[in-house]
Amino acid sequence: MNQKNTVTEQICVPMTVDVPYRFAAGKYMARFLTELRDNGRFVGVKCPSCNRVQMPPRVVCAACHVKNDEWVELSSEGTMVGFTIMYLPLTDPTTGKPHEPPFVYGSVRLDGSDSTVEHMVNVEPDLDKIWVGMRMKVVLRDREERIGDLSDIIHFEPLPGQKRPQ
Amino acid sequence: MSDRVAIVGVAQTRFSPKRADANVAELAYEVIEKVLNDTGLSIEKDIDNTISCSHDIWDGQTISNIGITDVAGGHLRTEEKMAMDGSTAAYYGAVGILSGEYECTLLLAHTKMSQTNRHIVNNDAFEPIYSRQLGLDFTSAGALQARRFMHAHGLSREDFARVVMKNLGNAMANPLACRFGYYGLDDVLSAPMEADPLTAMDAAPDVDGAVAMIVASESKAKKITDTPVWIQGLGSCYDDYFLGDRDLAECMALEKAAAQAYKMAGISNPVKDLDLIELSDEFSYQELLWLEGLGVCKPGEGARLTESGFTSREGELPVNPSGGVLSGVPANVMGLNRVAEAALQLMGKAGERQVKDAKRAVAQGHTGFCGQHQCVIVLGNQ
Repeated sequence: MNQKNTVTEQICVPMTVDVPYRFAAGKYMARFLTELRDNGRFVGVKCPSCNRVQMPPRVVCAACHVKNDEWVELSSEGTMVGFTIMYLPLTDPTTGKPHEPPFVYGSVRLDGSDSTVEHMVNVEPDLDKIWVGMRMKVVLRDREERIGDLSDIIHFEPLPGQKRPQ
Repeated sequence: MSDRVAIVGVAQTRFSPKRADANVAELAYEVIEKVLNDTGLSIEKDIDNTISCSHDIWDGQTISNIGITDVAGGHLRTEEKMAMDGSTAAYYGAVGILSGEYECTLLLAHTKMSQTNRHIVNNDAFEPIYSRQLGLDFTSAGALQARRFMHAHGLSREDFARVVMKNLGNAMANPLACRFGYYGLDDVLSAPMEADPLTAMDAAPDVDGAVAMIVASESKAKKITDTPVWIQGLGSCYDDYFLGDRDLAECMALEKAAAQAYKMAGISNPVKDLDLIELSDEFSYQELLWLEGLGVCKPGEGARLTESGFTSREGELPVNPSGGVLSGVPANVMGLNRVAEAALQLMGKAGERQVKDAKRAVAQGHTGFCGQHQCVIVLGNQ
């Protein structure tokens, strides 16, 4: 037998590590998701100390480390603060299938919120047709099609009649 | 208790797109064997602690360190894992020695990005109920940050492209680099667009590799080497987890981490007091943003420093003379590679990429999307 440790062949074994999860939304997100599903409304929490309105709602205000317990309703319209046109076919983890590029992700600050929400934007993937500061509205699935997860939001779309600032 | 901690040895693999010839343990052992040989130290006699840095989902194994405790010197001994960027291994290695508990610690960071798909791994970093199902990953989140940063200061894709040109040019002198070359503006701007405004050249490539380092107390360090590099300052800070809670054009966590590290090191004016910076430019725009966080320039002014040559290897304050992460350094390894590159500069062992008369340097690492966690380490050879 050859005693020398010489590599004769490189072997790589393919394996898919498929671990199924069921994530609890928790009290705060469950209320957010049921309000969205049942009433088509966005709700956030307001910090009792700094008054920051946070979305998604969560148990503690990070800045003050106090418990959030005041709920506020937010508008379903807001302002785009950032965006990207995606050319990579990123995987939708709920289906395992890629989002078909090009598509647009946007960060939108709903009126009344201090946080932004990230989601798909239904706009032509063209830098002339999308800009920071653009006014947006949320488009939800019809009531009977909503299931109580983030897919109840179809996308954002621009409010009509806007012109790109020069 | 030790007053000072020194880096006494560094070993790094070459970074390459795919190391199909080596499993994770063999890859890690390449650098462990080398750093022990270079320093003349033995696991059994000299090393009293190991801190490794890797990532369960990248490695495809729960508690990714447990399979390589043998090569890391953790067999029937202690070993701790940082599930974060490698710079935090240096942070906690130094803290352990400053506490007096340990005298000589082996640090390790390793990742084989070729094993799986970075977009799927990075998507798992996002909160499962609210943002993960959008498919967001570090590149798309980075693009949102880049766009926000451009909007805040009127920056252009050309400003980011100049960072790529500088760093890949610097990487020509780095024999470990995977991606290097003298490129023009058009080369970067016309590269395949991944997530507007970021092209494939604005993003660090997928590579495999490992870095090992040994840190020691002052008394031990002086017995090991004539060129100890002192860890003079440490800082660590988290920003908000949800992207929507932050103005992505700012980097408050880095400002705070840098303030801690500078205070500890007695640095009042980073531009004057530092001779070079190694920072984690996972994406081109980050070099400009992190320069603000590190107090090198005012918001929006990093682009001018790049364009004027201020941050070139021959400039007043070289930034990423190694070529940085854009030249190809694996996720999780990138921060320890920054510390290693800064240490090599201060040891005078940086070869062709050596910055003249380097006495003090800062290394920066970050974990998570858009630099949520920031770690800053100040090093000096005096």
